[in-house]
Amino acid sequence: MSQSKRMDILSLTSLSLGLLSLGIGAFLAFTAPPATEQGHVYRIIFLHVPSAWVGMVSLFVAVVYSILYLARGKARYDRMATVVIEVALLFLSLTLISGMLWGRPTWGVYWTWEPRLTTFAILLVVYIGYFVVRSAIEDPELRAKASAAISILGAINVPITYMSVKWWRSLHQTQTFDLTTGRSNFDPAMLPALLVNILALSLLFFAFVRIRGLLAERESAKQELSPQAG
Amino acid sequence: MTLLTRIFWLALRDLTLELRGRTGLLAAVFFLFTMLLILGLALGPNQGDLRKAAPGVLWVALAFAGSLLAGRAFGLEVEDNTLDDLLLIPGNREWIYYGKLLFQLLLLLIVGLVLLFLTAGLFYLPLSALPGILVTLVLGSVGYASVSTFYAGMLARLRGREALLPLVLFPVVVPVVLASVRATASLVEGLPPGEVADWWRLLLVFDVIYVTLCGLLFPYVLEG
Repeated sequence: MSQSKRMDILSLTSLSLGLLSLGIGAFLAFTAPPATEQGHVYRIIFLHVPSAWVGMVSLFVAVVYSILYLARGKARYDRMATVVIEVALLFLSLTLISGMLWGRPTWGVYWTWEPRLTTFAILLVVYIGYFVVRSAIEDPELRAKASAAISILGAINVPITYMSVKWWRSLHQTQTFDLTTGRSNFDPAMLPALLVNILALSLLFFAFVRIRGLLAERESAKQELSPQAG
Repeated sequence: MTLLTRIFWLALRDLTLELRGRTGLLAAVFFLFTMLLILGLALGPNQGDLRKAAPGVLWVALAFAGSLLAGRAFGLEVEDNTLDDLLLIPGNREWIYYGKLLFQLLLLLIVGLVLLFLTAGLFYLPLSALPGILVTLVLGSVGYASVSTFYAGMLARLRGREALLPLVLFPVVVPVVLASVRATASLVEGLPPGEVADWWRLLLVFDVIYVTLCGLLFPYVLEG
């Protein structure tokens, strides 16, 4: 097996650095001062916001791969777009679960039909649909093209979800980092824990994508050797 | 022939075929009528409840009709093997998308109008807000038609497309349906014009983004 098909230094380094900074982030998160209104419950933000950020930003990474596929037509780009969306779905699910666990003590319910939650659920459904379409189309070229189109069209939902708290003010608090004004709505004493966790999850995301990408590459290589096996 | 006349002729040809065949349109309208009756039975007979549900019913029904009709845009081309002839015409392929979009939009508007009056009759939707509702209908239909035409073209040659199409279509157009329902509800409740205009603006943004993006992406996905 060639060197490129083994787990490389870069994946291993980012995996271990990610785990290390996750530990530091956890320490900072638990030593940060309690919030004035919510007490200790708010600490779930240190998992909720970073996973949402990494998950949503990575959907744009998938868009870049999708556009690259449409422009160049190389199977690798299609594979990478799928891998990125797969890992992104993992992070977005984490966001949903942590958000629900946070919602119960603060709002009294796990789920409510509120703009941010609704738009987020739609976002998840779009990308679950991405995998449904992939499994339904047999022709690899059309499958790759259709996936790229869904990924590009679906990403429109990311800014909608992000801006929903501003456009339709309701239960959900406003953005932690407001990109439209460049301001942070977060207490400076709590900021280091959040930033370290964003870094940690980004490193982990990078490592996961590389490892999953390697697996996908092997899978497709195997399928090329014996098409019936897949 | 300029691009605009090409688009116009393609839409006109499809519309003529559709009106001559009648089966697609009639089936859609009949399906909607049955659906409205069932919904009315389920939600009624209190007049207040029905009126409250009317905007939602209108748009959900239109979304279903839209997905029923979405297959029509490319269905005939595939059945008659004329899709390849269309693709052979020199020049960019975006015009095929825009022609089909125009056809889909016209179909949706015809069905939408019928549906509007059916809902007004069965669900007590007040027609005093008609001009505003018509604006919402046009804006919402453009958003819906843009995505449905795109996906219909993409999945045209696929087996099982009838089941697949609504599956990929609905999540993407939910924002359009949502904004249309809210705009219609605001109109029916007689809320200030500013509130309705906000939803219209949002719909317009969606329309512009979807129509441009789908037009750009269409030539790539059609070849397959």
